[in-house]
Amino acid sequence: MNIAPRYLGRGSWLARRDPRVLILVVFFFIFTVLQIWDARLVFGLLIISVIYYRTAAIPWAQIRRNWTVVFLFIGMLVTVNMLVAGGNVEAMPEGEPDVLFYFPLLGTPISAQSVSLAVTQFLRYLAMATIGFPVAFAIAPSDFGVAFRRLGVPEKFAFGIDLTFRFLPSLSADFQSTVDAQRIRGFDWSAGATGFLTRVRRSTPVIVPTVVNAIAGAEDTIDAMDLRGFGTGRRTWLRLLVYDREDWLVLGFFVALLVAATLGGFLGTSDELWTPQFLIDIAQG
Amino acid sequence: MSAISMDRRNNLWEVTSRTIVYAAIGAALYGILLVAQLPIPGSTVSVRPAFAIVPFFGYAFGPIVGFFTGFVGNAIGDQISGWGALTSWNWSIANGLVGLIAGLAPLYLQRWVNGSTRDRAIGGAIAGVIAVLIGFLFVFTDNILQGLDIATIFSTLYVPVVVGDLIGTIILVPILVYAWEPVKAQLGR
Repeated sequence: MNIAPRYLGRGSWLARRDPRVLILVVFFFIFTVLQIWDARLVFGLLIISVIYYRTAAIPWAQIRRNWTVVFLFIGMLVTVNMLVAGGNVEAMPEGEPDVLFYFPLLGTPISAQSVSLAVTQFLRYLAMATIGFPVAFAIAPSDFGVAFRRLGVPEKFAFGIDLTFRFLPSLSADFQSTVDAQRIRGFDWSAGATGFLTRVRRSTPVIVPTVVNAIAGAEDTIDAMDLRGFGTGRRTWLRLLVYDREDWLVLGFFVALLVAATLGGFLGTSDELWTPQFLIDIAQG
Repeated sequence: MSAISMDRRNNLWEVTSRTIVYAAIGAALYGILLVAQLPIPGSTVSVRPAFAIVPFFGYAFGPIVGFFTGFVGNAIGDQISGWGALTSWNWSIANGLVGLIAGLAPLYLQRWVNGSTRDRAIGGAIAGVIAVLIGFLFVFTDNILQGLDIATIFSTLYVPVVVGDLIGTIILVPILVYAWEPVKAQLGR
């Protein structure tokens, strides 16, 4: 079993950027999107996120399944929110909604505004997921520790992040060994588990030995770190991170977007839900 | 306040090589074992037996290890699944809070934590339940961040996650405590 982050964007323009850029862009972009409720502007941000995503050159065939999950997750969340919340969402404009129909059984009013809200939420989620994908596929796993350290995360915790990535291959191999060992004894943890309780109960003989073995085996790593004086002085990192001109341009662009969205919010031009006139016309017959 | 309880409180926040290694192991295990998810039909979340690792690591090794295990482990799980480590950062914080609150058990479950192995196992389950119920309240930030209605968050996100994770916590945390105690004694800890 190979459970590890997949560095699918290796060699692409985005993967050649300083890893801090990809992390910072996610934060700048998310806080930009969060301030905008006008679907036309959100659609513009989605296009920007797609262009950014394309520079990571992530092969579609290898992440088709990931995108399917994203669409299902977002679609379901937004639909349920529309059916449950109906016309009572804070982002909705004040005043009487233009009701299109009442949802059978629940009786929730489906209005022009609630449909617009659902579409806007879908686009917002999609834009955020699109900007987040390159973090998963275009940063070398070994760069996370040093990137977070250089972003100001305390040294020990940054090293902890680095160590976590280093533990992934060996612990996933241990996990697979435990699964195989139980299979040899005639126990297949994934077979015949239909109910929630059964699933949890059947996972016990696999999870417990894996966890206890991992903790017991940690002593060697702790000793090695102590013998090398971990935490006694300032730590240096083998990988040197330096922003180049293109990194600054990317960061500058996304900071400018964030500033524009914040100003737009203060001026009240972008933080109001936009409802297309044709939907209102349909509702008003 | 006695010197012993003061010392215990200070130890809770101590960051040593042991803290970092246990935290990294917890996070890696949680990220790896997240593959063992079973989707809840009609919901956007899953039953996650591996979730028990978060309150267990918090309970066994302290609030810092617990927070790191939940926060980084969830981010790593998102990273492996392709969602991106930072896309749902508030959910990672919620997971981290569960580990942190379970790790504070010596402050609110003293009798159980200092009792027999059986008491410590029961204490682990109680700490886990409290931690899950409180920690996941952080997902209500989706109301501000995503504009989701409180009722939607409660019915579609909070309740399914909490119910699924409580099942895993109540069953697995005491078993993990029972399995860990003899090893801990053997290691001289």
